[in-house]
Amino acid sequence: MGADRDREGQLPVGQGREACAGTGRRIGVFICHCGSNIAGSVDVRRAAETVRGLRGVACATDYGYMCSDPGQALIRQSIAEQGLDGIVVAACSPSMHEATFRRAAEAAGLNPYRVEIANIREQCSWVHQEDREKATQKAIALIASLVEKVRGDDPLEPLGTPVTRRLLVIGGGIAGMTVALEVADAGYEVILVERGAELGGRLRQIRETYAALTPLAAPLQTLIERVREHPRIRVLLGSEVESASGYVGSFTVTVRPAAGANAPGGYRSEADPAGGTQHEVGAIVVATGYELIPLSRLGEYGGGRVADVVDALEFERLLAQEVPRRPSDGRVPRRVAFVQCAGSRDPEHGVPYCSKVCCLYTAKQALLYRQRVPDGEAVVFVIDVRTGGRRYEEFVQRAMEEGHVLYLRGKVAKVFRQGDQVIVWGVDTLAGRNVEVAADLVVLAAAVVPSAGAAELGRRLRATTDELGFFREAHPKLRPVESLTAGIFLAGAAQAPKDIAETVSQAEAAAAKVLGLFSRPELVQEPTVATVLQELCAGCGLCVSACPYEARSLNARLRVAEVNAALCQGCGACVVACPNKACVVRNWRPEQTLAMVGAVLGEVQ
Amino acid sequence: MHMTRPGQTRALIIGAGIAGLQAALDIANSGYEVVLVDRLPSVGGHMAQLSETFPTLDCSQCILTPRTVEVGHHPRIRLYTYSELTGLQGEAGAFTATIRRRAAYVRWDLCTGCGLCQSKCPSRVPAEFEGLLGERRAIYTLSPQAVPNKPVIDREHCRYFALGRCQVCERLCPVGAIDYEQRDQVVEEPVGAVIVATGYQLLPLARLPEYGGGAVPDVIDGLQFERLLSASGPTAGMVRRPSDGRVPKRVVFIQCAGSRDPERGQPYCSKFCCMYTAKHALLYRHRVHDGQAIVFYIDIRAAGKGYEEFVQRAMDEERVLYLRGKVSKVFRDGDQVMVWGTDTLSGRNVEVAADLVVLAPAALPDSSQRDLARVLGLTIGEDGFMEERDPQLAPVDTPRPGVFVAGAAAGPKDIPETVAQASAAAARVLSLFSRWEREAQVQVQADGRR
Repeated sequence: MGADRDREGQLPVGQGREACAGTGRRIGVFICHCGSNIAGSVDVRRAAETVRGLRGVACATDYGYMCSDPGQALIRQSIAEQGLDGIVVAACSPSMHEATFRRAAEAAGLNPYRVEIANIREQCSWVHQEDREKATQKAIALIASLVEKVRGDDPLEPLGTPVTRRLLVIGGGIAGMTVALEVADAGYEVILVERGAELGGRLRQIRETYAALTPLAAPLQTLIERVREHPRIRVLLGSEVESASGYVGSFTVTVRPAAGANAPGGYRSEADPAGGTQHEVGAIVVATGYELIPLSRLGEYGGGRVADVVDALEFERLLAQEVPRRPSDGRVPRRVAFVQCAGSRDPEHGVPYCSKVCCLYTAKQALLYRQRVPDGEAVVFVIDVRTGGRRYEEFVQRAMEEGHVLYLRGKVAKVFRQGDQVIVWGVDTLAGRNVEVAADLVVLAAAVVPSAGAAELGRRLRATTDELGFFREAHPKLRPVESLTAGIFLAGAAQAPKDIAETVSQAEAAAAKVLGLFSRPELVQEPTVATVLQELCAGCGLCVSACPYEARSLNARLRVAEVNAALCQGCGACVVACPNKACVVRNWRPEQTLAMVGAVLGEVQ
Repeated sequence: MHMTRPGQTRALIIGAGIAGLQAALDIANSGYEVVLVDRLPSVGGHMAQLSETFPTLDCSQCILTPRTVEVGHHPRIRLYTYSELTGLQGEAGAFTATIRRRAAYVRWDLCTGCGLCQSKCPSRVPAEFEGLLGERRAIYTLSPQAVPNKPVIDREHCRYFALGRCQVCERLCPVGAIDYEQRDQVVEEPVGAVIVATGYQLLPLARLPEYGGGAVPDVIDGLQFERLLSASGPTAGMVRRPSDGRVPKRVVFIQCAGSRDPERGQPYCSKFCCMYTAKHALLYRHRVHDGQAIVFYIDIRAAGKGYEEFVQRAMDEERVLYLRGKVSKVFRDGDQVMVWGTDTLSGRNVEVAADLVVLAPAALPDSSQRDLARVLGLTIGEDGFMEERDPQLAPVDTPRPGVFVAGAAAGPKDIPETVAQASAAAARVLSLFSRWEREAQVQVQADGRR
């Protein structure tokens, strides 16, 4: 770091401030040193002197850290004292501090949409460290172009859209019930739609949790009763979502009787049988859970062909009896083979992923089987034992040591019936030998797949599902419970296979997002959205299909395109698509953009 | 005690890693105040040290900094960094938190974060943030992106505090922010609910001598390797080994270094090592095209969305060699590191001469956790992590009403799970706050009628 730069960090506040009368627009330019980040390769003082002569510029100042409190004070003070009607801050990327500077300007009475950021750090000083002269010229050009933009900027007002403080939850399992209760407890109305005849979801089929072996029936019943009796939760059983329209804060959802409900002898739907009912809600949580891949798709493991080959949920049911009995002849099985990854981690079955919950529930089932049938033998075929999670490793160790469950590392090649037994051919990859186990019962840890109709529901809600049918999250790391559609959130196995603990966490997290949304009096939206110049619009509809956010529609009566400002993200796809130049994004008008280009090319003096 | 007034709708969050940040933003963006405490000088936790994240290889800094910046500027978040919670009195809705702010010897109200003091400080110290592979000065911030971007003076290594002279920083500071006389301050904050988000640390290398930990310079841990991969790290993203700065041509990754090992006291699985090791091996191959990456593992635990596919990609596309087996010994041999292990699939002993060995040490609770549990009146499990009220059905509740837990404080977790738990804890708090708010309204109405 040179001594020259160090001195520049100490420039007195307000240096170079001077009046510039008679230009029409009064624009202030504030150039940040960012310590040596910018000042190290850009001659900020020269840049300030140069841009001071630009059309419309009333003053230009440089300062060590414009984002610091004194830097922001300098901006506010200049706006007030010099009556500025627009400013350009030449600093880091707008994604860093645009909001900061807009707030500062607003505090001084300037419309925040007449504040522009010239990025002279990431796009200038950092990438041109070796050539101070060219970096300085580029910084000046960038500032000049943003000055041109501010000259054309309209003072916009943020758009406010109201929020309907009512939640729709789709799915009445542990995830959906958890979300519903948390949001209802916080004081908001909830509509819970479940296509089955009862609440409770998969947990109704599972007797105890793994690891702690906590019985689930009682807590589940308590949960169901709390949901059913909650004054702010309306449960619609035997119902499903037919369609949804609208946007965050204001969805209209049509609920109709589920396929299968109201059939003769079937269960009754609580939805209006005549064509469904409409509900106005502000947010939607998708908690549609999972199912297991059908046994019939696991033919090589005897699935669907051999009576004593069952899936894990069926084995839960068998274990619920005092002693488990096998389906074919009701005998107590003396040797049970558990086959993990039945379909999972198997791209050929269309399931390239790991189903996550199977390793643990298999250990649980093997241990419980050994407790029910003390002289029985439990053999588990496994590729990797995946017990990532607190107390899980210890639990599998317990199954092995206390339950004497035999774990064989290897894939199963074939399962078939022989006499009244089921033969399992496999490999023990640790011993490098083929093994043959003559079992009385085979339990398949069938792959976890999205619940039927998930992809179709995704289309109805305009919330994307991935190629496997799981709902896609907005960001896999930092936004795991938000869908890609604002106002639609995800909970539990609808997003990916998850165990109970994780599902409850996710459901609570979805509740947090809903509560955050409902806490706002209205949604404030950026006004920099597209508009239609009606006199130029031919109503051709090209923009409607070009819009990725479904923010456009054709007004049939006027035969012009219209914009739903709440959905528009200001991306400009419509501007490109429109043959008549009738689409304009506010504060990004074509003449503004051309003036900016002109400034970069040095056409503006 | 019967609560006569509705609760205080203000939350205390301990720990400002990704869990604490997420919970703070969820609560503050719902309109409530948050007091956020971290013992380090700036926020971000371990995630700020990571280079890229699995399975999408997003740059960690790039997805984290918008969050840290938002927290730093949030009008409803009061940030106490370089601070510790020393007391919590009262009950849900009416806690009083006692917070000790350590003396930074820098007046943060004056400091503009220009960085001049750091560039001129003559005292160079191995930087903890860089896993001791890089240097900092005695007056320092954790990273250039630190929030708040204000330095602290490390008294132990400061020449002025040790020798009574130097004062370079004081002379240079353009705003006169250096204050050698500053003292620790104790403040009290009234809060209604608490979230514990203190995270994890790795088992120290010195406790892994059989893997060469602490003795062989080219045996490092996973977080150190993150810094070697990081573009903002001590090697600017080029993988260079600590001993001689050479680019290693063969790197051995050893998983379960201390985990799943009851004899060492960590019977549990540390959960995220399998995935970060796959990421490390893949990124190493991206940086060093002719390099060889070998992973020793017991089971590959790739349970999570897109995880299995990611490990397959490391194996298939980047030709990372996975050997199933435990490593028995790691030792120095000339300028190489020898790794002895077993390949349990072929049943043979293997010997690998590596240039660099990266251990995946067990994840332990943060060192502050035991004292904090005492302060908070919470129980710690046999494994050292905070006990939940019900691990499956109430995973973010603790036995103490009004106190919640999120992230790795209650057992090792990866980022998405941590973020989900943080939002979950926020939901529990928001639900309480909104109930208390309604009660307050009812009371006001009742008082009005009276």
